[in-house]
Amino acid sequence: MTDALSMLAGGFGHVFSGGAAFHALWATLIGIVIGALPGLTATMGVALLTTLTFGLGSDVAMLVLVCVYVGAIYGGSRSAILLNIPGTPASAASTLDGFPLARQGLAGRAMGISTAGSWLGTLFGALMLALFAPSFGEFALQFGSYEMAWVALFGIVIAGSLSGGDPLKGYIAGFLGLFVATIGQEANHAYARFAYGNADLAGGLGLLPVLVGVFGVAEVLSAMRGPAVRAVSSKIDSVIPRIRDVTTYWRTILRSGALGTFIGAMPGLGEDIAAWTSYAAAKRASAEREKFGKGSIEGLMAAETGESACVPGAIIPVLTLAVPGSAPAAVLMAAMMIHGLNPGPMLAITAPEFIYQIVAMLIVADVVKLFYGLVLVRPLLWILLIPRERLMPVVFVLCTVGAFAITSRLFDIWVMLGAGLVGFVLRELRFPMAPLVLGIVLGDLLDKNLLRGLVLSGGDITPFFTRPISMVLCALTLAAALWSVPGVGALLRRRQAPMPK
Amino acid sequence: MSEAEAASPFAGERAPASPRADLVTAAVLFALGVAIVQQSLAMPRFVEQSGTGLTAPGIVPGFYGVMIAALSLLLGLRAIRRGGWSAGGAARRGAGEGRRLLLAAALGVLYAGVLVGRVPFWLASALFVFAFTAAFEWNRGPERRARRILEAALIGLGTGLAVTLVFEKLFLLRLP
Repeated sequence: MTDALSMLAGGFGHVFSGGAAFHALWATLIGIVIGALPGLTATMGVALLTTLTFGLGSDVAMLVLVCVYVGAIYGGSRSAILLNIPGTPASAASTLDGFPLARQGLAGRAMGISTAGSWLGTLFGALMLALFAPSFGEFALQFGSYEMAWVALFGIVIAGSLSGGDPLKGYIAGFLGLFVATIGQEANHAYARFAYGNADLAGGLGLLPVLVGVFGVAEVLSAMRGPAVRAVSSKIDSVIPRIRDVTTYWRTILRSGALGTFIGAMPGLGEDIAAWTSYAAAKRASAEREKFGKGSIEGLMAAETGESACVPGAIIPVLTLAVPGSAPAAVLMAAMMIHGLNPGPMLAITAPEFIYQIVAMLIVADVVKLFYGLVLVRPLLWILLIPRERLMPVVFVLCTVGAFAITSRLFDIWVMLGAGLVGFVLRELRFPMAPLVLGIVLGDLLDKNLLRGLVLSGGDITPFFTRPISMVLCALTLAAALWSVPGVGALLRRRQAPMPK
Repeated sequence: MSEAEAASPFAGERAPASPRADLVTAAVLFALGVAIVQQSLAMPRFVEQSGTGLTAPGIVPGFYGVMIAALSLLLGLRAIRRGGWSAGGAARRGAGEGRRLLLAAALGVLYAGVLVGRVPFWLASALFVFAFTAAFEWNRGPERRARRILEAALIGLGTGLAVTLVFEKLFLLRLP
């Protein structure tokens, strides 16, 4: 315990040694703006900033990315409350009660609830991260190639089953992502797969140009295709969170914080599922169930706390297993790899202090978020009024800079364009994007561990099923797959209250 | 904004696609899966180097190819059961949406695929932002059009210069 506290203090010291306050201020602001603007998501924000901060040191880059992630998830609630349009998919549940509150002339109070819930959610999640990540990391050291292959497969299957929409399309998206990750030279014989003599393809498709394409270019196209978003002018009352709103619903806050963190820690589920689950759980447990959907303070508090607690939760498996808990966390993990930080089970041995530095970064970002939540009301309204015709081309320029930044290859800009067009078409055909991202990110992990496992066992596949941890992971993967089979899932879900519509 | 006008949280990725669209997608993905398997089988096995052939580069992509083909077969069968053969095409969107999409995609490809790397980055970006903004704001009517075009030019120039300065000088990145 003393060790943990001194390491946490060290983490804060480390974060504040490099002009953290300045970087946290601008990065959280950018995150909030990206989150608030419909069409720009947290994943896109983290992907873009990963490439744009490539020239900075790894400490500053990590702080910036954590701040953007935390800020973007919170920022999405502003447009959810004021426009009834979730700024990021994570804020969809916040529209249900946030917008009705705004229509009742309580937009300020709704934003205050969102600020308080989001602040407490991230704080709760960060404390869980500090508490559980180191010990879970040590447990994960027992994972060998067989187990890591299952962990990667489990991530794809659970993201496909539960990331929203159609599980079958989720699985296909996941395997497409895994396939994209196989393009280029493989590790054993340096054979260039699917390269056809092209030197650029032999180098593989860069992870970040693909992600900037799928989340940046595709979103620009989606935003320009749809009808223009019309902003409402809403009278805004005081945005200062009321202590009574927090003390009355402390059970909801704790429950949503725990659920959000847990869902975040499940590979590939992400903030939107965390928000919906927290909302549904709060509705089930509430004495004021009839108010949900009509401007319930408890409902908004649950959704906001859940989605914000998910952010640190999603970083837990990144640091302990090198498996991301959400799409933005996948990009954050890629950024860690690019900066040579090697997330995964070995982190508990090689750099245990890094876990506490991330906790310190999350808490700093959370405090800055609280500050902006209290002061940044009018300016954010003006930003929401920027016409997309003027905003989207600037976003596209930033995507181009981002795609080029890491390896300085024009080929990466083409990759971004191709990934953007394919991502747009897949999205139009209702393929969820979270499993695709997870597939691309986990491709290397699965590829290496599957082959290494086969080599170690001399071609025998039984260790994949008979080793104790493998057996559990295999059972979980099968259960996740069975959950999505029509009939089986319905049987299990019948006992649960339906999700809000 | 009334609730009827507001976007549903279940729209977008959560709304189902038409059975016909699913059927066509399944056919394309099945072909892709089979092609991946065929290409994976054609890859060298490196049996002499590894002794067992278990490190053959084609094993993993081959597995993915099989899974993509099998899952798209399921998608296709489900689409047929949902009436994919008989149902009409996918719900048609307005012509305006298609035109806007095509314009955005064409300008994007022209900028990132053609201009970038051939003309100075600040100029390419300024031209792109100007063209994009001016083109999409053209249909707002003739009144104040000249002013909007001037504003678009200023935003373009500002973006080109600001992006170049901020990323080259402050973030120390190389620009195309």
